[in-house]
Amino acid sequence: MKRNAFHILLVLAGLAAMLAGLFWARAVPDAVPAYLCLGLGAGALGHGAGALLQRAALKDAPDIQRRIEIEAADERNIALANRAKAKAYDAMIYIFSAVMLVFALMRVDWAAVLLLVAAYLAVVGVGIYYRCKYDKEM
Amino acid sequence: MGSGARPAASRPGRVKGGPATKNRLEELRRQHGIRQEELADALGVSRQTIGSLENGRYNPSILLAFKLARYFGLAIEDIFLYEEEQP
Repeated sequence: MKRNAFHILLVLAGLAAMLAGLFWARAVPDAVPAYLCLGLGAGALGHGAGALLQRAALKDAPDIQRRIEIEAADERNIALANRAKAKAYDAMIYIFSAVMLVFALMRVDWAAVLLLVAAYLAVVGVGIYYRCKYDKEM
Repeated sequence: MGSGARPAASRPGRVKGGPATKNRLEELRRQHGIRQEELADALGVSRQTIGSLENGRYNPSILLAFKLARYFGLAIEDIFLYEEEQP
């Protein structure tokens, strides 16, 4: 019930943000926050409505609901997802490096290159943080 | 199913040259006359997990190994057989 209320609230907030963004964009066509409002509103509306529809569809199908819960909690599925994420992280490190090199060679504005370097270092930093955290926990 | 012929070292969850496990899961399941779906349901895992365990493509967590052992009324060592791989 609590989750339902949260998703209803999300739908209403999304709708409000979308409408506000729409009127704002019509009044001031150059206003970037108006389009941000539209985008965030659409995202919230979609997420909330999707969750509500799923809940309604599964209400009379406890078997399917249980199957979905088992699939989500299945240890092999979790292991597969974690392994895929680890591979994607390894690939991202190389891709980030390549993009930084290409940006530097293209003489892209320093601000953009530095932003990319900061993002790269942030990702690596998060990786090191969790490595240390899990090292203490396990 | 059917990819059990892959070399052990290239299987997911296996460390190259490391130890491997075999198991009697399929044999026990057939002895009890139950389908993979039923066993999966009883243990709260997906049918694919049972299939992968039977094929030796996936090694279970210690919790799942205990659940399986308890389900069949056996010790873990009676279901999962540890063997050193040849280098």
